Amino acid sequence: MNLFYLSPELSLVGVAIVVILLDLVVPNKTILAGVSLAGLSLPLAFSVALWGTNATTFNGMLTVDQFAILFKLLIVAIAALIILASVDYAGRFLAHHGEYYALILLAASGMMLMAATTEFITIYIALELSTLSLCALVCYRRDRPSSEAALKYLLLAVLSSAVLLYGMALIYGFTGTTSLVEIARNIGRNAIVLMGMVLLVAGFGFKIAAVPFQMWVPDVYEGAPTPITAYLSVASKAAGFAVVFRVFFTAFGSLDLAFDWALVFAILAAATMTLGNVAALTQTNIKRMLGYSSIANAGYLMVGLAAASALGRSSVVFFLAGYTLANLGAFIAIIAITNHIQSDRIDDFAGMSRRTPVLAAALAFCLISLIGLPPTVGFIAKVYIFSSAVAVGLTWLVLLAVVNSVISAYYYLRVVKVMYLSEPAEGPFPSSGALKVALAVSSLGVLVVGLLPYPLMRVAEVAAAGLLP
Amino acid sequence: MASQLVWLIFLLPFLSFAVISLVVRPFLNGSARLSGYIAIAAIGGSLALSLLVLQEVIRAPGHELLIPRVTWVVIGTTELDLGLLVDSLTAVMLVVVSGVSLLVQIYSQGYMHGDAGYSRYFAFMSLFTGSMLGLVMADNLLQLFVFWEGVGLCSYLLIGFWFHRPSAANAAKKAFIVTRAGDFGLLVAILALYASSQAGTLNIKELHLLAETGALGGTFLTWAAIGIFAGAAGKSAQFPLHTWLPDAMEGPTPVSSLIHAATMVAAGVFLVARMFPLFEHSSQALATVAVIGAFTAIFAATMGLVAPDIKRVIAYSTISQLGYMMLGLGMGSVAAGIFHLFNHAFFKCLLFLGAGSVNHATGTFDMRQMGGLRRRMPWTFFTFVIASLSLAGIWPLSGFWSKDEILAVAFQGNFILFLLALATVFMTAFYSFRVIFLTFAGSYRGGASAGAGHGSQGDGHGAPSLHESPAVMVVPMVALSVMAIISGWFNLGGEFSGFLGEKAHPLGFFGALANPLALLSLGVAVAGIVAAYGVYGARWVSAEGLGRAFAPLYNVFIHKYWLDELYETVFVRWFLYTFIFGLMELFDTYIVDGLVNGAASLALGGGRALRRLQTGQLQAYGMAIFLGVLALGLIMVLIR
Repeated sequence: MNLFYLSPELSLVGVAIVVILLDLVVPNKTILAGVSLAGLSLPLAFSVALWGTNATTFNGMLTVDQFAILFKLLIVAIAALIILASVDYAGRFLAHHGEYYALILLAASGMMLMAATTEFITIYIALELSTLSLCALVCYRRDRPSSEAALKYLLLAVLSSAVLLYGMALIYGFTGTTSLVEIARNIGRNAIVLMGMVLLVAGFGFKIAAVPFQMWVPDVYEGAPTPITAYLSVASKAAGFAVVFRVFFTAFGSLDLAFDWALVFAILAAATMTLGNVAALTQTNIKRMLGYSSIANAGYLMVGLAAASALGRSSVVFFLAGYTLANLGAFIAIIAITNHIQSDRIDDFAGMSRRTPVLAAALAFCLISLIGLPPTVGFIAKVYIFSSAVAVGLTWLVLLAVVNSVISAYYYLRVVKVMYLSEPAEGPFPSSGALKVALAVSSLGVLVVGLLPYPLMRVAEVAAAGLLP
Repeated sequence: MASQLVWLIFLLPFLSFAVISLVVRPFLNGSARLSGYIAIAAIGGSLALSLLVLQEVIRAPGHELLIPRVTWVVIGTTELDLGLLVDSLTAVMLVVVSGVSLLVQIYSQGYMHGDAGYSRYFAFMSLFTGSMLGLVMADNLLQLFVFWEGVGLCSYLLIGFWFHRPSAANAAKKAFIVTRAGDFGLLVAILALYASSQAGTLNIKELHLLAETGALGGTFLTWAAIGIFAGAAGKSAQFPLHTWLPDAMEGPTPVSSLIHAATMVAAGVFLVARMFPLFEHSSQALATVAVIGAFTAIFAATMGLVAPDIKRVIAYSTISQLGYMMLGLGMGSVAAGIFHLFNHAFFKCLLFLGAGSVNHATGTFDMRQMGGLRRRMPWTFFTFVIASLSLAGIWPLSGFWSKDEILAVAFQGNFILFLLALATVFMTAFYSFRVIFLTFAGSYRGGASAGAGHGSQGDGHGAPSLHESPAVMVVPMVALSVMAIISGWFNLGGEFSGFLGEKAHPLGFFGALANPLALLSLGVAVAGIVAAYGVYGARWVSAEGLGRAFAPLYNVFIHKYWLDELYETVFVRWFLYTFIFGLMELFDTYIVDGLVNGAASLALGGGRALRRLQTGQLQAYGMAIFLGVLALGLIMVLIR
């Protein structure tokens, strides 16, 4: 037992507790956001210090390797941007700020743990930690849509947890262990194992929003406070993919099993991206539209998973980072705009290019990255993930993915069109400093990584190489 | 010098572009002058670094700096790198491009003063210069192509700078589309080189090596080289893709000066020089370059004889001089071609700045509306004469030396091409001094009407007061005229040729006057000047009379061989509009539209159907999960 290996998560929980306690004594709630932000430097520092470590601890429950640490860094960065994006929003629309920021941090610690756990029970606990925190956050507006969303999220999460546990039980029943490494040693290919794998796919499918386990996404995205929607769309998905990678590559990595689950993921990828994109076409609410967009992106990510190769793994890690930058950038711009106009309708974004040129330009740029056009990170990420699939012969899937990207251009560019070509309803308005910082970080990231992708690619390669085979 | 600094040479102008367009234009448009200072500071930095690089390259063994390459993307086994190739050719180009661009941008502060698009102008100028600098430093064809297209884009933006004027918008389109025809050849050549088993690389030095060892050869090499030359011919306005350059006059005059001297048209000549080993090992490709070059030289000169617009005369002279450079390259001498590019950059830039200065005063470019400007604009007159003497090839100005070298290699190579080049010398001298006599000698013919100034021809500078231009414009002109005199002396002892890796046959400063070939070209040039004096200065023969006497020729020249009409009617109207677009339209209406509308309604219909599935009912969502598990189970069973 070496607590240092757990230090990023432990320190984050500590910061969350400090924030709750401070809430009792501090009258100015903006300070809480500052403390949360400053507190995030602790897990950041610990994660950086752990980079290069390759160790398993707590009887094989926890693994600290570069894969885990990269995801921890990603989640810390996301949490920081979400907190920045929340300052304005929370001040105007929410109560109980201390718990709000603390829950964001607790959810983050759960998701960081998800990337590092290598044992079924711990995986389940980490998953629940993040899901329950997120669920509380979803209902934070305490109006009807928000409560409805939270209830749906909770009940479906419970249902999918049950499915997940059933799958874990089946695998445990056959192999007699819950440790992923041990499972890999004892496993064979038979009906029980295959059924267990199906149930695991279904359980994790809820978290990463794969069809047909994605039904909650549009309703919850629409009802949740917008910063939490952003949080769900990137952090929750990233952590979900991290767990899927751990389980399927470590426990079911043998060649004959990999063939089975790779095919399942290929089919899910095809269904997920097609449904996500086609359903997004007719949306009129921008949060719902981005909900479907996040489903579609889960589909692209599963293309890399279906490749079941080292190239596929690193491409998924890269894609997740790029998608995080672009999607967060888009959400932050939307938060800044909707804070002012008090509406999520796409039509109400009319003339934003004149009302708030910088926000409109940043939003347009991030949407272009989501389409996957150069010179943005989205372009490189798609090239990367699609070439990994072509390399293993999944040409049909890549063709479908390309067609899907073309379809997606329609709904992303419609927002750009409304912002740039429609007449504005009212005059210009300013936006807050914290949002500007968050927006600058994410949209500059989209551009810089789009122009010079190699350093991040290299990190993704190193991180993904740790997972065998 | 740290090798990282070399990257800054082209990154500085890009940075200036970013700062002007992202910071100055949106937030500080009140202080537009700032953009001029930013752009000039950036290009000044590039020039300083370029000079340092030149110095290092001269010292370096093999005249080449090795810069570490940067990995751009690695996907599986496909690796794309960014790299810089800094050898003597690059070093010369860097100094010419950044030096000329600096002077042009300083001059532009005066010329563009008060223009509503002042910031936009300097942003584009930075982007233009940065692209060109990136182009000459690229170490692989893909990178080169990206900057190549960047140069093309900027030429479009700057030629059409006054886009509200239809003629400018059309000229910009024409420049973009005509050069695109050549770019297509270049792109095909690049793709073919990458895909072929003979080459399989885009790294320029590796391609050189492959051509030299003979691994890359035969018909494939010839076609690849000709494809590359097609791209070069488009950018460098070689026949038959020259038609865009005279129209490109619609841009602000400093832009013309930059395009003609250092950035756009030089790119084509540079490309051939850069890929020269490929041409060298294919006699057909080399011959193509030489013949097209010599033909373009005389062909463009004939049109320059009669054009009434001062900028158009200079434009035709550019095409003609580019033909010389191509001739020099085609005759196998990179040094001769590049040396002429080097000298030409200074005197041609100067000629345009002079024309811009004249326009600044008179508000027109039509030489029939000028005359007698010598006394009113002494500096402009003085520098313009120096540039013209240099262009005509008069000893000991710069043009004489490089032109003489090209004539010498042509003389050894092919007698017919040599005769074409020699005839061009006469015409060059004639039209250069026709401009001088019409513009600066005699008496002013513009009268009060020039006061209107804002006519379709002018750049919108209408002051009829006929004064000399401000110092910010005159000083760059004087600086350039010094270079127009002395730049030819860099090869007196064969230093320039030696730097580019060739043995020269230096004549010496006075020795040139004892060389029969040099004397011949000098004599021909002087004859041209005398003839121009006879017609436009002393008027021994009237120009109108000459025009009537040679009416058929005059008509052909003044109508530019009807090539614009030919392209417009036969190619664009008949071939493209009627034939290709007609077919396309049928295909589009019945097949593409059908598919697109079908797919769109399918997708939108699917979207609406899916919306109905999204009932909001929790039970339905739970059922979906259940059915999903069942379906996945079935899939597992089926593939087992």
